Amino acid sequence: MGAKAAKDPVPRVSIPLNPVFGWTVGNWMENFFDGMKEGKILGSRCPDCGRVFLPPRMICERCFAKADEWVELPATGTVQACTEAAVKVAENGDMVDLENPEIIAMVKHDGADTCITARLEGADASIGMRVEAVLNPGAENVLDLLAAYRPMG
Amino acid sequence: MEKEAAIIGYAQTPYEADSNCSRELLVLQATRAALEAAGLKREDLDTIVTANNDYLDGRTISNMRLVEPAGSWRKNESKVEMDGAFALLYALTRILSGDHDIALVVAESQASVYGGILPGIMMLDPTFDRQRWLLNEVSGAALQASAYMDASGVSEEQIAGVAAKNLDNAAGNPLALRSLPGADAAKVMASRPLYSPIRDLMMAPLCDGACALVLASGKAAAKAEKPVWIKGVGFAHDSYLTERPLESMNSLKLAAGSCYAQAGIEDAASQIDLAEVHERFAHEELMSYEALGFCGPLQGGAFFDSGATRMDGKLPVNASGGAMGANVDCGAGLARVIEAAMQVRGDAGKHQAKGVKTALAHGQTGICAQENIVYVLGGE
Repeated sequence: MGAKAAKDPVPRVSIPLNPVFGWTVGNWMENFFDGMKEGKILGSRCPDCGRVFLPPRMICERCFAKADEWVELPATGTVQACTEAAVKVAENGDMVDLENPEIIAMVKHDGADTCITARLEGADASIGMRVEAVLNPGAENVLDLLAAYRPMG
Repeated sequence: MEKEAAIIGYAQTPYEADSNCSRELLVLQATRAALEAAGLKREDLDTIVTANNDYLDGRTISNMRLVEPAGSWRKNESKVEMDGAFALLYALTRILSGDHDIALVVAESQASVYGGILPGIMMLDPTFDRQRWLLNEVSGAALQASAYMDASGVSEEQIAGVAAKNLDNAAGNPLALRSLPGADAAKVMASRPLYSPIRDLMMAPLCDGACALVLASGKAAAKAEKPVWIKGVGFAHDSYLTERPLESMNSLKLAAGSCYAQAGIEDAASQIDLAEVHERFAHEELMSYEALGFCGPLQGGAFFDSGATRMDGKLPVNASGGAMGANVDCGAGLARVIEAAMQVRGDAGKHQAKGVKTALAHGQTGICAQENIVYVLGGE
């Protein structure tokens, strides 16, 4: 390899690569979203060990069984983990600074055994904090049905 | 596992932000150098396992163009779509089957080609977490760190101290991408905040590079110079990150347990002389001390403060700089095995620790270290 070739950057071209995937959310998540449209929070429960999954999961890995029972859970829960995001990920994968930092929290709803990750309103958060889900049953985008959590008064 | 399989050669390319070179040439460089180190030719290879990833390569069957540089033309070859430390596991099982004497493991990726941490987002549950665009490898690790800090009382300064130790060690490793000789916790704490408590210098830098390792059966290794024996291996998988306790690395603990049973390790802290752990984030190294049994549960911070894991401590961890120095996707775990083997042989040059007879290497895959693998290596 000549000195020039070693020094010059490799020419870059952008090759369009847009595979189309036909993912559906599946019956369990559909049930979850449909529930939230009526203001209900639905988790799935393992019939063997009683573990409650929220968001609902189809299979309990511990019992190697279908988690096909449904339970309605309260909108309240506890923060299990939290982080203050100073950045967000841009579409090209770079982390870009946020103008206003935001809190991301993992919340375990009362009666659930797993967590939902979402934004937490307000500037302060700590593990063990009591929070409630902000539900928007009329939201057009299903992802906005449970937009965030807020600290309980 | 006594004298059944040994590492007899290895090589790593320099780890660079942009290698300005094709992945095929990186693999060729690593493979040829590893074979040369083992005193072997391509013709001697019985079986080959590559570690690379379709998504990272931007093509399916990402090993299709590695036939030439991995030396696998018309040979028994397959691919592991995870870290090379798991590819080594498959090479080991092929050797232990008795059907093969010489195996090559080679791992590669080029972060300069794919979009930073986007592939980590593609690991998430596509129906919910991926769509919400809040979780990624860094924010996931930050949530894990918060749960660990809350449970253990570990401080941001202690986490920064781990990063500083590794970045200082990396100054002795000529292949590392990033090093900061003399770094301290304050320097790390002054780096760019990402997701609290994680800052830029607490996160292992993605990069371009390849590494390769030659594994031999006991019979073939007996003829080799300074074979490094695999004394034990263990691996385990855990649940998705939102469905497991994040404050401890339970699958790493399970992996270590089965590895130690094979290797005859009863007291890891006294029987292991050095460890290379795959810390994609600095707090994971503290958590790994606990999972690997170097200290008790939630004692990782105190164990670090004791100085035990520094270069001159009784159990140096990441003398190479670890993943803080260079974190090539698919390769950083295999690089830990190679670095541990170098230490056992006494071949680590400026970052050689003293008196290493038994070394541990760890690799991981998945968000918040969902899957872990542990090896114990030893010399003659």
